[in-house]
Amino acid sequence: MDFGFTPEQEALRQEVVEFIKEKVTPEVLGEVETALETGMGPHHQRLLKEVAAKGWVGISWPKEYGGQGGSRIDQYIVEEEFARAGISVGGAGTGAPAILMAGTEEQKQHFIPGLITGEIIFAQGYTEPQGGADLAGLQCRAVRDGDEFVINGQKMYTSSAHYATHVYLMCRTDPDAPRHKGISILLVPMDAPGITVRALWTIQSDPPAPASTTYGTPRTNEVFFEDVRVPASALLGEENMGWYVGAMGLNLDRVGASRYLISVRRDEDIINWIKENQIDGYSITDAPAIRDRLAELWIEAQVCRLMTMRSMSLVERGGNFTYEGSAEKVWAPEHGVKTTETITQILGPYAQLLNGSEGAIRDGLFAHNVMGAFQSGINHGSVQVMRDQVARRGLGMPRG
Amino acid sequence: MDVLPSEEEQMLKNLAREFLEAECPPSLARAMEKDELGYPPELWKKMAELGWFGLALPEEYGGQGMPLTYLAIIIEEAGRAIAPVPFHSTMAAALTIAEHGTDEQKRELLPAVSRGDLILTWALTETDPRLRPEGVRLEAREDGDDLVLSGIKMFVDSFSVADKCLVVCRTSEKSPENKGLTVVLVDTGSSGISYNPLVTLAKDRQCRVTFDNVRVSRANVLGDINRGWPVAEWMLDRATALLCAQMLGATRKDAEMAIEYSKNRVAFGRPIGAFQSIQHLCADMTLWVDGAQLLTYEALWKLDQGLPATVEVSQAKSFCNEKCEAAVRSSQTIHGGIGFMMEFDLHLWYRRVSAWTMRLGTSFEHRERVAKALLDQPGQVRLGMPLTPVS
Repeated sequence: MDFGFTPEQEALRQEVVEFIKEKVTPEVLGEVETALETGMGPHHQRLLKEVAAKGWVGISWPKEYGGQGGSRIDQYIVEEEFARAGISVGGAGTGAPAILMAGTEEQKQHFIPGLITGEIIFAQGYTEPQGGADLAGLQCRAVRDGDEFVINGQKMYTSSAHYATHVYLMCRTDPDAPRHKGISILLVPMDAPGITVRALWTIQSDPPAPASTTYGTPRTNEVFFEDVRVPASALLGEENMGWYVGAMGLNLDRVGASRYLISVRRDEDIINWIKENQIDGYSITDAPAIRDRLAELWIEAQVCRLMTMRSMSLVERGGNFTYEGSAEKVWAPEHGVKTTETITQILGPYAQLLNGSEGAIRDGLFAHNVMGAFQSGINHGSVQVMRDQVARRGLGMPRG
Repeated sequence: MDVLPSEEEQMLKNLAREFLEAECPPSLARAMEKDELGYPPELWKKMAELGWFGLALPEEYGGQGMPLTYLAIIIEEAGRAIAPVPFHSTMAAALTIAEHGTDEQKRELLPAVSRGDLILTWALTETDPRLRPEGVRLEAREDGDDLVLSGIKMFVDSFSVADKCLVVCRTSEKSPENKGLTVVLVDTGSSGISYNPLVTLAKDRQCRVTFDNVRVSRANVLGDINRGWPVAEWMLDRATALLCAQMLGATRKDAEMAIEYSKNRVAFGRPIGAFQSIQHLCADMTLWVDGAQLLTYEALWKLDQGLPATVEVSQAKSFCNEKCEAAVRSSQTIHGGIGFMMEFDLHLWYRRVSAWTMRLGTSFEHRERVAKALLDQPGQVRLGMPLTPVS
């Protein structure tokens, strides 16, 4: 067991912290604030290119595709610091891990370098109108027609579809096979004819949340596919094996520094705020009940951090997850909600004030979190589905 | 960074588990609750032969000089087996002697501990249950080359079977700097000592001990006179972290029993483990113990590195207190009525884990220590960066 980082890793962290101090300017943060609504602005894009040029994206990915062939722990350190600054460093999420594991040589060469520079962005095409938790019931159809697939159907809550270059599409290729065995994954360019994107505005869209809100999104989308044709080479992994490729991708997607940091940044925010500020001359840190609760939250935040470190350790050993990714995905979102709710009861009426209101604390950050915090317990598999997975995959409990 | 057990650590764990499964069935814990001595000397001897007592003691005094995390792995397994032996108290005192004792004390005591010939314990708490220096009133009066001890100690673990006890006493008036305390090693058979066993939830061997003009040579002082509180704190950190390991080992086993039971117990025409309400309880129990384990070993690892770890120890203990208790309670719920039956083994774990949550610091005490470090000093906090402990 080793809970420490090497001197080289500590130095890397320091370098990243310094870089962020210098390069994450108010202009960048201003653009981040609206990025989920309108796509990335020029300063934001330039920053991500510089991050990629530093070799900080895809550190653990193979060199031949533009990665560094380095350690997942190093990547974790970079992700952690950028997530703390409110910046998501590209490529680390959807798509890449599964493409590296299941993709063809051509797919790897085509997608991975672009994911590193941020020139390629995947939207996740999993959820459909009839549901997301019961993913294996998906109905979006892809029919083989010679050297092509023809796609018809609809995806729902596809959050980055309005600025993504591709969609990582889970669709049904064999309707006669058992549910899990007739699914494939297609890597579909968003500009393919027949794709329509329609905006869905969330409760976080008005007024816009401040940049430091790490939860949720103001906009998500419905995506319609009408006779969309893609070449057979868009298939990721084997035909009708998409469930397993997708599950692997989702598992890897669930682990990582950003996932846990999204949920624990609020602990740092509120503690640092109340240490430095008083309301009408009294110090919040004197109240015994609040002290006890903040300590409790801090301890639980450590558990979120340590569960992420456990997943990193497993990845680094080349091991397989049984339930460890799901464990993180139970703890971090529920912790984030608990912290958010605690903050509302610490700040009282001030916690209602949204961005732009007179009297808003930290641009209404904490009020916006009330609308956003629970989202991370819903997307990418709800905490209830995650508990099912812990019980069934981790503990071998029977299906109902 | 690799928070999973190394190959060697896993091997040690497996060996300990195999040994204890063979040599320490639940019937032994059950029998010892009514036994006059309260521990089985044969098992104690075998554990010594396996080298467990000297594992984390220095090599020059008959130990093996391994890290504290190795000892914790064994204690975790002993907790899993609810082994009725004075292992924890002996180790807490022996580690403290190894760190703070004189060369002579170490030569005399540590090889005997490794051989299993010496059982140790420690005594801090009196009537005030909080782990605070001001609660120590037991007076040690200087008299020539001796100290003369008078007062009482409560909740002294395994006192009735211990050969020696580290006693935290007051050698001068209270002071805000926590000076005036001294740690002294006392023979439990010294004239003037009497004790009453307490009847506890875990049916273990805690005692109320009375010291009536007990004469101890100054050569038995550990560290310096009036400088005993840092020694006591050093011991408390280790003792607490090791108790966490013991507690989570027992809780893991308790949770596994519930999971296993739910796969076999049929109701409404199916195993109850097929119901999501039961699955989610089991998932939570597992994640709670996982969290407890990660926090505990991070604290132990920091202690091994010589880093300040008081905050980490408090994090682990308050979390273990609440989550281990919640897990064993869920396990009782899943078992239903059978779990309350004397003849069924589950309560052996439930009562012990519950009792351990009450010892070496309550959740509130430990969280207040975390809160002090978190809130009462200047500067921004950052998760993953150490907090400076505030005493």
